[in-house]
Amino acid sequence: MLYAVLTSSLLLWELRRQLYRYAVQDLETVEGLLSFSSHGQVLFEDDYHNHPQSKFIQERYLEVLSIPDGEVLFRNDRLAKEHLGHSSFAGEGKDGYSPRLDHLSDGTRILVLSREHRIHGKRILIRLSYSEEPLYVQYRRLLWMFVLCFSLTLPIAGFASHALARRLLRPLKDMTCRARRITPEELNERLPVENSHDELGQLAQVFNQTLDRLAQSFARLKNFTADASHELRTPLASIRGVGEVSLQRERNPDEYREAIGSMLEEAERLTRLADSLLVMSHADAGQVALQRGSFRILEPMREAAELLGVLAEEKSQSLRIEGDERAIVEGDRLILRQAFVNFLHNAVKFSPIGGTILLRARVENSKVIVTIEDSGPGIPVEHADRVFDRFYRVDPSRSREGGGAGLGLAIAKWAVEAHRGTVAVVTGSEREITSGAVLRIELPLNIWTLPLGSGVR
Amino acid sequence: MRILVVEDEPKLALAVKSGLEYDGYEVDMAGTGEEGFFLVHSSSFDLIVLDVMLPGRNGFEVLATLRRDGNKTPVLLLTAKDAIEDRVQGLDAGADDYLVKPFAFAELLARIRALLRRGKPDVPATLIVSDLTVDFASRSATRGDRRIDLTAREFELLCYLIQNVGRVVSREMLARDVWKEADRHSPLDNVIDVHIGRLRRKVDEPFPKALINTVRGVGFVIRDEVP
Repeated sequence: MLYAVLTSSLLLWELRRQLYRYAVQDLETVEGLLSFSSHGQVLFEDDYHNHPQSKFIQERYLEVLSIPDGEVLFRNDRLAKEHLGHSSFAGEGKDGYSPRLDHLSDGTRILVLSREHRIHGKRILIRLSYSEEPLYVQYRRLLWMFVLCFSLTLPIAGFASHALARRLLRPLKDMTCRARRITPEELNERLPVENSHDELGQLAQVFNQTLDRLAQSFARLKNFTADASHELRTPLASIRGVGEVSLQRERNPDEYREAIGSMLEEAERLTRLADSLLVMSHADAGQVALQRGSFRILEPMREAAELLGVLAEEKSQSLRIEGDERAIVEGDRLILRQAFVNFLHNAVKFSPIGGTILLRARVENSKVIVTIEDSGPGIPVEHADRVFDRFYRVDPSRSREGGGAGLGLAIAKWAVEAHRGTVAVVTGSEREITSGAVLRIELPLNIWTLPLGSGVR
Repeated sequence: MRILVVEDEPKLALAVKSGLEYDGYEVDMAGTGEEGFFLVHSSSFDLIVLDVMLPGRNGFEVLATLRRDGNKTPVLLLTAKDAIEDRVQGLDAGADDYLVKPFAFAELLARIRALLRRGKPDVPATLIVSDLTVDFASRSATRGDRRIDLTAREFELLCYLIQNVGRVVSREMLARDVWKEADRHSPLDNVIDVHIGRLRRKVDEPFPKALINTVRGVGFVIRDEVP
């Protein structure tokens, strides 16, 4: 409705402007058509200008006054007894046309223009006026038309757009319905994708992908909880078994001591497991704050080797570290060191007596590549993806060896990933030791702290 | 020495009490924060072992109130949660030390001794157990009249054991105090065991009497046992 009023008003304003322009033109024409008769009467040759140039300019009112006495010299027939203002006001018609709005006695709105003029040395004032009524007729007509149109079309448009919106949103309603059915227990439901190219289709696809990821992590969580419970149960069963059996009959102090010690060992295992689970849960929740620093990757590697060196020595293994001193990374040195300790511990554990373990670091394509090779039995291809899973063991019968809970590699993997790195089992070439497993760790190279001219790109 | 133990878990409380009493301390027990608070006000203690997770007023609140009242008794906090915020909160509230549950009893004893010894330096130049002499100044160890060749790590391990002569030290304590590792992880346990084994080969095996003993499930102890 506001639109209708605005449009109509704009039209009225434009028509008035036109009327004014025509009036000015007309006034100038009228000037040329005025003359004095020999009796001093003003004559107007209006036969020349009988046909109006615009359909709006039908009613011309003309009045000529003498200046300064204000005597009416001429009034046209249309004006009859009306007048266009009595005496002239100051400056009327001197510069420009003094346009103004007025009313005739019957209420007709008129536009009045004045112009001072000289004929035969006499000063006269020409007043020309047009009715604005045809303009208002147009204005009202347009307004009514709008109102009529709106009142007719609005309900139709409303109804149509409602139907259209319903049609368009039907898939959304479908999606809502399905989405409501998705719960942690029922993550298999997926949204229908009707057209993968429109916005709704894309939304549904993104939603489905999110659901896939959610389902995966829920599944992982479920497995993790089940595995953790199993791992907890093993030492608990031992504690219980040892305790109950030793109470079956009287025993000597050494036997009791032995039993209690054994139970304490299992309690130790439980404690360590609880610690590891806590580390994992902190890591999962993203609660581990990394202490940032810049360092050579060889440093934590050497520290890990120094710490675990005695274990390799005990098995007469040769433990070698070589690499590029320019391999500099940014991150938490202690956490990366822990990762290397875990990787290395695994390598020592699985390499035979007299075996070789080789750690190498190099820079390649803005990346720091660390490989850890051992001479153990290697990791079968079918296990390659899963060795980093929590509690996963290639050989389940080795589960109790070394007291590890099967979380070492998972924690190490997390540590590498927390540094925007990756770790994977290398199955193909790229190994120096023929048998055994090769782990490949990639970390982003910290290029900003390299000494100038080191030539690394 | 009189110790107050504020702990709501009856089994653990009883174990701690009898363990401390065996070590020669006089022990009072409190099962709630309020009870502990009352005991602290009615008598004086040399040390308070305070559990954080208590029914009613928790350990932090009890501790904060004590410190506000101007009580300067050393407090060892026991916290079940291994959260850094907890440690910081505990130390902020005025705790002198904290211990994360589950802890090794040997560790609890060591912390208590350290707190009670505070400000009383006792670093003798040499320690002697049986015929084993450890000289801290020259960093040398001799048994009888034979000098024992030790690596730096082995010497530190021996020092730690002999400084705690007669008391069992846990692997946790060794990891923290000898290896200076913030976290104890399973590879480190193996490393500790290997070092203990090597130390034994040098210190005990050539001699008729073994001094380094393993207490199964608990840790290690240097002890001059009657053969």
